[in-house]
Amino acid sequence: MKKLFSSLAAVVLILGIFAPSVLADSHDQNAMVRVLHASPDAPAVDVYLNDEAVVEGAEFKAATDYLEVPAGEHTVEIYAAGTKGEQDPVISTTVNVEAGMAYTAAAIDNLENIQLKAIQDSTEATEGMAKVRVGHFIPGAPAVDVGPIGGDALFSGAEFPMVTDYLEVDPGSYDLEVRTTDGTQLIDLSGTNLEAGKVYSAFAVGTADNPEVLLLQDSAAMPTMMPATGFGGTADSTTNAWMYAALLGVLAMGAGFMLTRKRSEA
Amino acid sequence: MVRKVSPLALGLLVFFISFQMLNEEPAEEPRVLSTSETTRTQGVEVKESLVSDQLEKATIEQNYTPAVKASSEQSGITPDRIQIPSINVDASIKALGYTPEGGMAVPKNLIDVGWFEPGTMPGNQGNAVIAGHVDGNSGPAVFYDLKDLQPGDEIYVYGDNMKLTFEISRMESYPYEDAPIREIFGPTNSHSLNLITCTGAYDKEASTYSERLAVFSVLKDQQKL
Repeated sequence: MKKLFSSLAAVVLILGIFAPSVLADSHDQNAMVRVLHASPDAPAVDVYLNDEAVVEGAEFKAATDYLEVPAGEHTVEIYAAGTKGEQDPVISTTVNVEAGMAYTAAAIDNLENIQLKAIQDSTEATEGMAKVRVGHFIPGAPAVDVGPIGGDALFSGAEFPMVTDYLEVDPGSYDLEVRTTDGTQLIDLSGTNLEAGKVYSAFAVGTADNPEVLLLQDSAAMPTMMPATGFGGTADSTTNAWMYAALLGVLAMGAGFMLTRKRSEA
Repeated sequence: MVRKVSPLALGLLVFFISFQMLNEEPAEEPRVLSTSETTRTQGVEVKESLVSDQLEKATIEQNYTPAVKASSEQSGITPDRIQIPSINVDASIKALGYTPEGGMAVPKNLIDVGWFEPGTMPGNQGNAVIAGHVDGNSGPAVFYDLKDLQPGDEIYVYGDNMKLTFEISRMESYPYEDAPIREIFGPTNSHSLNLITCTGAYDKEASTYSERLAVFSVLKDQQKL
């Protein structure tokens, strides 16, 4: 909990270099990718994956939910909104995604130096604990610590454009702050609610003068299978039971009539 | 008189006894005699492939949700009651966790619904999940009419002296073994509530229905009571 994570220890995976895949469920042929617009002075953008629009008109600070894409290499092109076909993309690159893995593809830095940063996201929640990591996507801002206001840093020395390792913390409400390594508060995050079984990425975005934090969910506690929510009592089989029972009932009735008639004749 | 009544009574008796016997499930609860098809999936579009659906369309604006800030308002509640006026559901909510196999536990009775407590609280950012039975051994259960819901219908969830209103955005049926668990239970930027019940044909071998109906809804309003 109190363990410090230096920016050097941060897991920042460069495009195309990803950890071996661990197949989790039956959707494992696919990877999950979400897109984050973290370039403070870039216009709204359209994101194309293999020439198909997957996001349109995403503005600074917008994040998509995870989209499922087939594993493998994909061409990612980001255009200023509505300019595909008229202008060159602001970013054109390829990403390689592995089945069963989740990634954040973040457009970072100022427009002048805009680049796509791909990060691998955790898909594993820890029961009863919250997991959180911090990304520094504020171009021109100094290295930062993140921790309770006035308290020991949970994450320290995160530099642009690094993303720290995940840290397990007790669930609950935290009065956190993002501060420079010499203690000057940059962002007040009082009342940050971290739920048990959730995995979060807190991405600091914006400019040095106007910094903000986006808290995204990377994963959550999930069951391994869907609930069993029916016993079949209204399926057609019930009708069959009715029919058989009715048939037997009619037979018994007939038998009963014959018996009583015989008896009365006797 | 007795002569005429007794065969009738005998017939009825045989009918009821045989119906009970035929309709009874051996040992474990979720079993029944036949695997015949039902028409329960009518009106619910089966999603064939999530991927092609997302990639082939020109745009997928429904997947684009503005990000939220750390300080964004969390209105999560510990739910104790759910009401769905359009299908006359008014049920008590039990907080439940995992089955021994790691699946989602469900209420033991047919009138309550179960909230997946290790997941998201209704109202918070994320996918809160509530499941209920479609039927019991011999008749409908609390979520029998879930299939009749329509996008736009409202769901009310009560708890902690709050009333949350969710609006249904879409409904999907998935094969039991191949449902997108992460899409239903996993992370999202929106404040969602997803309802689950059984649908499709009853699979005798697996002692469960072959499909699951998922009703996706998004927080629309919250009210202090």
